[in-house]
Amino acid sequence: MRLDIVGSLESITRVRGVRGAMIVSAEEGLVVAESSMEGIDGAAVAALTAGVVARLGRATEAAGRTAPAFVHLQAERGALLAVPAPGDLLVVAVTDAAVNVGLVRLELRRAAEHLA
Amino acid sequence: MRVIEPWVAEPLERFLAESAARVVLLTTSSGQVVAQHGFTRALDVMSASALGAAIMASTEELGRLTASGASRSLSHQGPSRGLFLSAFDLPQGRWIGLVVYDRDSSLGLVRLFFDRLVGELQAVAPAEVPAREVLAADFENELNASLRSLFGR
Amino acid sequence: MSIEDIRVLTSQLAADPSSLVFLPLGEALRRRGQLEAAEKIALAGLTRYPDLADAHDLLARVLGDQGDLERAFDEWDIALRLDPRHAGAHKGIGFLFYVAGDLPKALEHLESAHAADPGAEGVAAAVARVREALALPALASAPAAGATPPVAAEPEPLPPPLPGGRAVFAGLEGAQDGLLLLDGNGLRIGGGLSAPDGTAVGDAVAAHLAGVFRDATRAARLLHLGSWTSVAGETTDANLFLCAPTPESLLLLVRDNSVPIGRLALQAERAAEAARRWLEGAA
Repeated sequence: MRLDIVGSLESITRVRGVRGAMIVSAEEGLVVAESSMEGIDGAAVAALTAGVVARLGRATEAAGRTAPAFVHLQAERGALLAVPAPGDLLVVAVTDAAVNVGLVRLELRRAAEHLA
Repeated sequence: MRVIEPWVAEPLERFLAESAARVVLLTTSSGQVVAQHGFTRALDVMSASALGAAIMASTEELGRLTASGASRSLSHQGPSRGLFLSAFDLPQGRWIGLVVYDRDSSLGLVRLFFDRLVGELQAVAPAEVPAREVLAADFENELNASLRSLFGR
Repeated sequence: MSIEDIRVLTSQLAADPSSLVFLPLGEALRRRGQLEAAEKIALAGLTRYPDLADAHDLLARVLGDQGDLERAFDEWDIALRLDPRHAGAHKGIGFLFYVAGDLPKALEHLESAHAADPGAEGVAAAVARVREALALPALASAPAAGATPPVAAEPEPLPPPLPGGRAVFAGLEGAQDGLLLLDGNGLRIGGGLSAPDGTAVGDAVAAHLAGVFRDATRAARLLHLGSWTSVAGETTDANLFLCAPTPESLLLLVRDNSVPIGRLALQAERAAEAARRWLEGAA
C-alpha cells in the first residue's frame, strides 16, 4: 500500500513542471505522504490547499452542487491542483505556472483511485 | 483581543487573522494569563489557563516517566471544534498556547500559523528578566491583575 | 426622546430612587450617546434590582455601545438566566455570536428573540440573513405567528443597473443565472445564480466565495506563487471558474459540466471585462 502511494506520487512528479505532490488529510490539512517537495514547505501546502478546497466545497454546497472533484488554483508563478480521494484525503500537486494541467489532473485522479 | 504584554499584540493579531482561530489563550507555564481572544467570561479564562497548564505539565511528566520524550503539542478534534495546545520557550520562560478553531480553519492551518507566531514572539520578546520569587499572595494578585486587564474590570 | 423628557425622568428618579424609571432613562441616555451617564444609571438600578433581567439588558446595551463586548455578553447571559425568554438578551447575544462568526449559535438566539417578540426591530431580517449565510432554507420552521416569509424562496433582486440602464452582464450567456459578481466582503453586486432546483442561491454562494478569495490569496502569497489569477473547480454536475476582475471584486462563472474548463476560462475573461467596464461606470 505504502509503495503504491509513493509510486502514484512519483507518477505525478514525473510530469514536466510538477514541483511536488502529496497526500493530505482533507479535514485536518496535514501531510500524509509527499514526494519531491524540495524547496517547498509541505506543511504549508497541505494546510493552505486543504483550506481552499474546503472553502470552495462550502460554496458549491451552498449552490446546491456536489463537492468539487477537481480544484485548480492558478497563480502567476505556479499552481496548486487537488483531487479528493477516499478516506477524506486529497491528492495535491504543486506546479510551475506552465504545466500540462490535463496531464497532471489525470495523474492526480489515478493516484486517488489507488487510494481507494 | 486583550494582552498583558504589549509586544505580544502584533504577532497575535496576525495569527488570529491568518489562522481564523476562534479562541486563543497564551499563558505562562504556571497558568498566568498573558493574552486572550474570544473568551467571554473571566471565569472561563481562569479555568482554561489552569487546565491548559496542568495538561501540559502532566504530559511532560508522563513523557519523562516513560522516557518517551513527550510531544509539546496536543490536539483534539471535536465534532464541530478542534483544540490545539502547545508549549514553547521564550526568554521569559515556558509559555503555553491554547487555540480553539472551527471549520473555518483546520489543525494544519492552526499549526502552521502557530509555528509562525512562536517564531515572531521569539524574535520580539524582550531579553530575559531576572527571576523573582513568587509568593502565593503575589500569584493571586498577579492573576487578578491579569484578569482585570484582560476583561477591563 | 427629548431633553425635556430626560429631565422629567431624572427628576422622577431623584424623587423616588426605587422607581423603575431608571430603565427608560438609561435607554434614553444610551440612545443620545451619553454612555457614561447611561452606565451609571444602569448600575445604580442594578444595585436595587439585581434580579431584574431588563436592568441587565440595559447595562449590556450600554456596554455594547462602549465596545466592551465581553461584559455585554456576561450581562445578557445573566439576563437570560433570570428570564430565559428575554427577547433583548437573545437579540444581543445573537448579535455577539454573529460578530464572532458563530452563525449556528447566532441563529439559535436570534430565533429565540423572534419567537419571544415577533415584532422586535430588525430581528426577522437578521434571522433571514444568518439562515442564508448558513445556506439553510429560510425559517423552515416558523418560530412564531407573524414570522416573516421565507427569504430564500423569494427571487433575488435584479442587480443594480448602470446609470444608462444596462445590467452588469447584459448580452452575455447566463447574465442572470450562472454569472455572479461580488465584492471582497462577499456581497453580491451583480448577476445571479440558481441551484439545480431553481432556488436563488447567489447571495449565499457570494458569502462563501469571499472566504475562497481570502484563502486563495493567502495560499498564493505564503507559497510564493505570486498573485492568484483563477480558481477552477469541477463537480459531478457543474464546472465553475473564479477570477478577480479587479482587486476588490470576484467573478464566478458556473456552467453545466459539459462545458470544458478551458471554455469557461474564455467566457470568464469576457465576463470579467464586462464587469470591469460596469464597475468603472458605477464608480
